[in-house]
Amino acid sequence: MLLAPEITIAVTGLILLLAGLFMSPRSKNLLGYLATCGILIALILTLDSFGINTTMFSGTLSIDALSQFFKLVFLVVVLLVAIAGIKYNENSSHTEEFYALSLFATFGMMIVASANDLIVLFCAFELASLATYALAAFEKQNPRSLEAGMKYFVIGSVSAALMLFGMTFVYGATGTTSIPQIAANSALLAASPIGLVAVVLLIAGFGFKMALVPFHMWAPDTYQGAPSIVSALLAAGSKKMGFVAAFRVFIVALAALQPDWQLAFTLLAVVTMTFGNVVAVSQKSVKRMLAYSSLAQAGYIAMAFAVLSPMALAGGILYTLAHAFMKAGAFIAAGAVVWMVTSERKGQPKLKLPDHLDSFKGLGYRMPLTAFSLMIFVFSLAGIPPTGGFMAKFVLFSSTIEAGLPWLALIAILNSALSLYYYARLVKYMYVLPPEGGKVREPLPYAIALVLAVAGVLAIGLWHEPFVQWALEAAKVLV
Amino acid sequence: MLPVASLLILVPLIFAAATFLTKTKNQAETLAFAGSLATLGLTLYAYLNFDSGSAAMQFFESISWTPSLGIKYSVGIDGISLPLILLNAIVTPLLILYSRSEEREASNRFYALILVMQAAVIGVFVSLDFFMFYIFWELTLIPLFFMVNLWGGEKRKHASYKFFIYTHVASLVMLLGIFGLFYASWQQTGIPSFDIRELITQFQFIESGGLKDAIFLAILFGFLAKIPSFPFHSWLPDAYSEAPTAGSVLFVLLKIGGYGLFRISLPMLPNTGKPELAITVMGLLGGVSVLYGALLALRQRDLKRMIAYSSVSHMGYVTLGAAGLVTMSVSGAMFQQFSHGLIMSILFMSAGVIHKNAGTRIINELGGLASKMPKLAVLMMLGFMASLGLPGLTGFIAEFLVLTFTFGKLPFFVIIALLAIVITAGYHLWAMQRAMFGVYNEKLGPVADLDFSQTFAMAIIALLVLYFGLNPSPVLDMMITNSEAIAGFAAAAGV
Repeated sequence: MLLAPEITIAVTGLILLLAGLFMSPRSKNLLGYLATCGILIALILTLDSFGINTTMFSGTLSIDALSQFFKLVFLVVVLLVAIAGIKYNENSSHTEEFYALSLFATFGMMIVASANDLIVLFCAFELASLATYALAAFEKQNPRSLEAGMKYFVIGSVSAALMLFGMTFVYGATGTTSIPQIAANSALLAASPIGLVAVVLLIAGFGFKMALVPFHMWAPDTYQGAPSIVSALLAAGSKKMGFVAAFRVFIVALAALQPDWQLAFTLLAVVTMTFGNVVAVSQKSVKRMLAYSSLAQAGYIAMAFAVLSPMALAGGILYTLAHAFMKAGAFIAAGAVVWMVTSERKGQPKLKLPDHLDSFKGLGYRMPLTAFSLMIFVFSLAGIPPTGGFMAKFVLFSSTIEAGLPWLALIAILNSALSLYYYARLVKYMYVLPPEGGKVREPLPYAIALVLAVAGVLAIGLWHEPFVQWALEAAKVLV
Repeated sequence: MLPVASLLILVPLIFAAATFLTKTKNQAETLAFAGSLATLGLTLYAYLNFDSGSAAMQFFESISWTPSLGIKYSVGIDGISLPLILLNAIVTPLLILYSRSEEREASNRFYALILVMQAAVIGVFVSLDFFMFYIFWELTLIPLFFMVNLWGGEKRKHASYKFFIYTHVASLVMLLGIFGLFYASWQQTGIPSFDIRELITQFQFIESGGLKDAIFLAILFGFLAKIPSFPFHSWLPDAYSEAPTAGSVLFVLLKIGGYGLFRISLPMLPNTGKPELAITVMGLLGGVSVLYGALLALRQRDLKRMIAYSSVSHMGYVTLGAAGLVTMSVSGAMFQQFSHGLIMSILFMSAGVIHKNAGTRIINELGGLASKMPKLAVLMMLGFMASLGLPGLTGFIAEFLVLTFTFGKLPFFVIIALLAIVITAGYHLWAMQRAMFGVYNEKLGPVADLDFSQTFAMAIIALLVLYFGLNPSPVLDMMITNSEAIAGFAAAAGV
């Protein structure tokens, strides 16, 4: 039963979709709990399968430390999203669609994590992408949400085409779609100029999902316009799918072309982190700021491709887990604030930017738990101890020194110093500026999701050993 | 035996959290004061159970934390750290007492930050693992940043950001040095470790001379910027003078830069590629800091800025004495850290009272304050005398040891520093004469003297300056024991 977690997720999604047909909006509130249970079961099954190393279906799916680690990341994110979604979908008539789409997206991501064949990888990639396109446009009355979905869909489709085009070149040159066999024949690719073309196309295709500059154009608009908890799923989950696919395709399959893509990723990493941090400084919308900070974080993770030592890959992999907790948590906290602002203004004209920095004024008084959690998340994003973000940066940045790239470490470190500016500004708004309204009762589902995410961030930060071990194990799959 | 080293971090942190939750100023003060007294009690316990004849690590605790990266929770106290912990533990309760009479918003945060700062600074002193050392090192930035940013003077925003960015970037360079050391040692031994003493031992076996120098310089830069030494001092005058009085005193207690020199840089120095060059550079920076800080202090109009520059000048002795690298010069430098912490606390407290009671800190706008503020005049005079190096007070002993015993190795830089002695006496006496003596400036209106808690806080520190000035051995002995180890190591390496 190695695919039990995936099957659980898919079956839960189907059951929800079916059950939703026969339920009234009020009773649909139950569906959120059902989805949460399904995800929890899948999570336990995944944790149970750690340490297994095998392939399935004639080698098209591989179950190993890397795939299970990333499945854990995706399940954690969707768990947080599902819990917060209980409040978000309260008394809505589209609850089952929300959960089914989230679960199908997760199913796709989990298959990508295991995919050992380009065809399987592409199909699963598309499954996850299509579900998230619909989710981004989930608020059908909200033009910003529709814009978010539309942009994401158009650019996503083009990138998928580029990626598929790249894969056909790889297939053409090597005669196979199986990743291990491509690796065995990759000398053929390296020998012809087709290899370079394939690398460029694949980088463009995956770079879109990873939101690396210059393939990032969709990300700020989509993360800002989509419902906050969907942004959490996109930034913390779907982005990581791009990374795990790129890990397998570039590092394992295209090992012979390493000099080409390594240089490209080095440049992309540096440009992405710098651009993300610099632009985030001037943002007034918190979700947009988190989107740019998410770019910057992708830039850090992409350093793993540039350094390529086991330590760097472990650092990058650990970073994805830490980032899943802190970024999902931050978007959920932003979602709680948006909920507060919109529910306060019932009957009045809608705010253009409900997630404007001003909405966060005095949040430490208005929503103490949300403010405290958000503070932990942004400190973690900035890499302040004792959080998971610090630990991941510690491992990742230190690995550049080992590889003899002190300049890359210096750029990354200066970037994270710069990022502190806009993160600290958010904390200042929450804790120093006076509140513009009374205390608000925080909805329980949001609170539970936030507490879980804080626990995750602090667990990685304080009790590193198991996480570092897992990440090192997962990195061993690649090198 | 109590696990003192861990408790010294934990107790202030717990009290900081409790203080943060209090509602009124009075509660916050009482709780913070109680917390700092508990820390003082622990420190005295450590002091009484400490063997000052041994250079070994005492109260040592070590627990494995992340074995796959060689990170350990590892703490201990020795003769390098104990005097600095003592300094911090003595001054913090007095600082809380002193701050009682000042009006401010959000007292609970203010006192909680003081205690967080205490935990962070002591954390740096007791950490024996680079991972923890770096965490506490960076943690010190947060209370100081908020101290200046929230309760500082007019230019507090500028000063707080400048301080934060400047020293944060310097710490990051230090972090790169630590990473380099970690991986170099890992490659040699095959076992990852962040243990400070282990890594210093492994440093000598690194083959590449260039790598050694790069690691040494990166770490040294982090320390020099924190001390701060010329030419990395430009954050200091703004931060010290814009901070509220309590913030300035916290800056003064931030002795982690000098501590890093003794704990990490000096044991590494003999094994660098060109130890003679490293010594010369450190001596030069130390000597120039002494003279340059004094010259800048001479032309300040603002009393607090003058004190801030005099701090640059005095911290120059720490770098200079460390560069001397013989037992007594290093001990002198260590003692200068201790002495400077006490003396500067009095001076900043005096400047704080003058600013609050007389309404200005500009020296020329004051005048004849001694007639209205006799208690302040006595205590401030003692502080100024100690600061300019009057025999019988702590400043003299430290500077005498540094100058005398560094002369053998670096005569030229000692002469530079000697030039500064005259200037130092000059600006102290001149400022005192203009601000405190002469005819009372009637424009100031009625000016109140120190209140009871201020007098008490400053008098205790003044008495300690006098006591350790006459009898330095309670702290100097343990410094000498550890300096012997450092100097012996250097001598064995032929430096």
